[in-house]
Amino acid sequence: MVKLTIDGVPITAPKGTLVIEAARQAGIMIPHFCYHPKLKWDANCRMCLVEIERVPKLQTSCSTPVAEGMVVRTATTAVTQAHKSVLEFILANHPLDCPVCDQGGRCDLQDFSHEYTPTTSRFIEVKRIFPKEYFSALIETQMNRCVQCLRCVRYCDEVMDVKALAPAGRGTMTEIKHFTHHELDCEFCGGCVQICPVGAITSRLSMYEYRPWMLKRADTICTYCGDGCQITIQTKENKLIEVNTAHGAGRNNGDLCARGFFGYHASTHPDRLQHPLVRRNGELVQATWEEALGFVAETCIRLKMEHGAEAFAGLIASRCTNEDLYVFQKFMRLAIGTNRIDSSARYGQINGVRALRRVQGTHRWAVTFEDIVAADALLLVGTNITETNPITGLKVKEAVKKRTATLLTVDALVPAVGTISNIANLAAHHFPVHPDRFGHVVLGLIKAVVEDGLVDQALAHRAPAYVQAIGDAVQALSWPALESATGTTSGALREAARIFARAARGVVLVGQGVLRSPGGYGLTTNLLDLLLLTGQHGRPGCGLAPLAEENNDQGAVEMGTVAEYLPGPCDLNDPTARERIAGLWKEELPKGPGRTLTETLEEARTGKVKAMFVVGENPVGSLPHAARAKDALAQLELLVCQELFLTETAALAHVVLPACSYAEKDGSFTNTEGLVQPVRRAIEPIGESRPDWEILSALSVLMGYPIEYGDAKEILKEIRSLIPGYGLLGAGPNPPRPDEAVVSRYLREGYAEDLANRYAATQPTEKRTGHFTLLVTQSLFHSGKFSTRSTGLLEIQNTGVLGLNPADAARLGVTDGDRVRVSNTLGELTAPIKLLERIPEGLAVFPEHFDEEARRLLGVSTDPQTRVPYCKSAQVVIEKL
Amino acid sequence: MLQEKYKTEIDEILSRYPVRRSAMLPLLTMAQREEGYVSEAAMKEIASILRVTPPQVYETVTFYTMLNLKPIGTFHIQVCKSLMCALVGSDSLLVWLQARLGIKPGETTPDRLFTLSTVECLASCGTGPMMQVNDDYYERLTEEKVDRILADLKRDGTSPLKSGPFILPEPEGAHG
Repeated sequence: MVKLTIDGVPITAPKGTLVIEAARQAGIMIPHFCYHPKLKWDANCRMCLVEIERVPKLQTSCSTPVAEGMVVRTATTAVTQAHKSVLEFILANHPLDCPVCDQGGRCDLQDFSHEYTPTTSRFIEVKRIFPKEYFSALIETQMNRCVQCLRCVRYCDEVMDVKALAPAGRGTMTEIKHFTHHELDCEFCGGCVQICPVGAITSRLSMYEYRPWMLKRADTICTYCGDGCQITIQTKENKLIEVNTAHGAGRNNGDLCARGFFGYHASTHPDRLQHPLVRRNGELVQATWEEALGFVAETCIRLKMEHGAEAFAGLIASRCTNEDLYVFQKFMRLAIGTNRIDSSARYGQINGVRALRRVQGTHRWAVTFEDIVAADALLLVGTNITETNPITGLKVKEAVKKRTATLLTVDALVPAVGTISNIANLAAHHFPVHPDRFGHVVLGLIKAVVEDGLVDQALAHRAPAYVQAIGDAVQALSWPALESATGTTSGALREAARIFARAARGVVLVGQGVLRSPGGYGLTTNLLDLLLLTGQHGRPGCGLAPLAEENNDQGAVEMGTVAEYLPGPCDLNDPTARERIAGLWKEELPKGPGRTLTETLEEARTGKVKAMFVVGENPVGSLPHAARAKDALAQLELLVCQELFLTETAALAHVVLPACSYAEKDGSFTNTEGLVQPVRRAIEPIGESRPDWEILSALSVLMGYPIEYGDAKEILKEIRSLIPGYGLLGAGPNPPRPDEAVVSRYLREGYAEDLANRYAATQPTEKRTGHFTLLVTQSLFHSGKFSTRSTGLLEIQNTGVLGLNPADAARLGVTDGDRVRVSNTLGELTAPIKLLERIPEGLAVFPEHFDEEARRLLGVSTDPQTRVPYCKSAQVVIEKL
Repeated sequence: MLQEKYKTEIDEILSRYPVRRSAMLPLLTMAQREEGYVSEAAMKEIASILRVTPPQVYETVTFYTMLNLKPIGTFHIQVCKSLMCALVGSDSLLVWLQARLGIKPGETTPDRLFTLSTVECLASCGTGPMMQVNDDYYERLTEEKVDRILADLKRDGTSPLKSGPFILPEPEGAHG
């Protein structure tokens, strides 16, 4: 620690702290433009000059580290004079257009001008004027206002690793541009808008609509992915004006992605359902809440009398709050009396949770975002992380760029620099393999660990039989076979295994490419084996992190809205848990079986299930045509949907009940790292919509099994008494430690049951020449079920464009924008193409949010253990149109 | 494409630097030598060679006045506008040139023969006013000399009036 004095205040700060930061911590604000705690200092704006005793000239406090005995003065005549001069130079060019500037009222330049400058200027020269250029549909630039602090450029490079902004020209004529006169093409994270100290870069979505002091703020959690970023929704007269986030706030620490920053208009889309709809003579017509709920309750009672409670099933989306999810399962279990409940966590999240529970007895990560940043070696499998979990991606980038962690990646995409992140670019070792061969790389890594003596000595001692069994299993695999399957050398695999095993702290992140692909559960378990074998398991800061795709996937599992779990999550058939829950609910739990998504659809098809409650889930729109979800749901005698929009599934319903979006309700979400964070209402409910839990609660009353709560807080109170980890909302994550008893059981016998399957290097089906693997994946600009209703995100991406490797395209004789026909035995689609160097030859990538046509081509297979439906890839033929 | 035409030269340039993107200026010079200016296609290609993004190449190009972003004429006239030349009349020389060529700085004549630019100090302060045409210096300029140079360039593609740059002390008989 270093002792110094700033303005007479004695201060102690860690060595290396910059004077400006030390002052801030002591409550002394030094004016600045170019400095930002997130960025490396640049000292270009000269605004933060201070006087330091025994230093002849004024020093920039943003670039001067504290020193023992330093005496700093920030408010002397010389300093104030320097501030005035800097401002006079900036104002020589800055236009006086505050009345039409969106930054007015929260502008650093405005504030400092009020503080320091006289109202007149000595400059009589004509101000610098840049010709106005169109920048992009979402981001507006007004270069005349720019103070050239380059925070935007540095943020885009240092934090986002996107490098899409260029300071073109030099001196006072420097302006922020993209590439020559081209429209901005980047990740649209909105970081430049947020970090600009003046009004040079602003959002076009809210242009001219507000003054900062008119806005009402609500701190809540974004719903576009599992990262759980804290956002501040700003509203004016119940209208969503803008979303931003403060530096230091939330798990995102002030960073956002395009979805979080520009995707907020979905909640107030004109197509929002405003009234309950009831099917009369085959048509959905508007009804009152009393009519709709009365009809549902009546029909439920009748069907329950006729067919019993097991003729009912429920499906809920992970976008709902924990409170909604909790009340939903309680409603299904008590008011209806069935365990036939499932949620969208079934699409992949459950693979990660099941593997974690099996091996280490936790249902959450044993690591946090901080551990990712602090890791020495990171292994990413099956994820171009930015596309699904952009903010977790930033943690990886920070680890690699600022903390020099070694990154190992296993993914289908190949490194190619562009103005959209491609995490493989940062990898020390990247294994570009076909999506069905990620498992082969992991087997190769485990084989290398075993053969090269990298097995943790403590583990070898603790579980010799386990190490022996795995050793035997990988010895049975031959290097030539693995090399030919992965297209890499055993040397590269050995090197990567050595880096990971030797790292002081190793973290494995596993993404949708594994969790949502055949063999996902087995491969996730193998990754835990890799962690165990290398000794990167059980120690603080090490472990496996399966990435959640939807905002509350984790909550859906913990609230017990999946087929195999009660709230907790506890196993459905765990007698102690059943007793405890029954005691709290003062009601017996139903004894029937749980049923997963695909099983429920099958039972609906065969007529076993007669009635379904679907909350926010849209199987007809999410599953491929081959799953025949539409046929199944059409068989039902009662289909009740709680929805925001009339989705493909809701269109089949007998009753559609309008539900509130996250912006209109209170509650909590549990993010991918298992942190429970508060969701707060920003606007009044649209139309007659109500929170999902309230609708279920009202129904329960009408059905004679009242499950009543005063508000969301009361539900949370009940959740707290039942589920650990729901105490303090938003507090720093406190990851669970692996349960040693469970780990021991796994090492003793648990591993053996499917070992042969998991360690079999199945010969991948050789691709027939001329055939492509079509991958339907999430894009950076769309996720969840609402992003395609967001005007902002549609400005960036509004059609399905098929991504192809340039060499493949050349062979097909097509180029950017040409249309192709993609077909297989199941169906066909036509789409324009885009050439992308990051896509390897033989692969074609299509965005899942525009996959209405593409879903015809996909088949479905289910995981034998976790019943996860895998439906994201297909073999296709592509022809020029 | 540069890579097809100059593969060995590019490899040699890259081999000089421990950090790949340090090779940016030599590659940009190569691109300009090839087309007379740095085209968008060239910037994209250089970006991909150096594994940086096109905006990063673009910002570098805009920083250096010696790199042209637009196609230029056969003869690129770069008039020094720094203090020393200004003291001995570079501004009137520029007016003269503008009148003779019918273009303003930054423009190219319709016959694509001449491009006029103003640049910062070319390190010939003792012999101003001066200008550089392509790679050659023309010093101690007068209106009459400029007219002769323009006529020579048009006719022969070069002019005997070109000189230096000098290494001090100036060679005998350099004053003329």
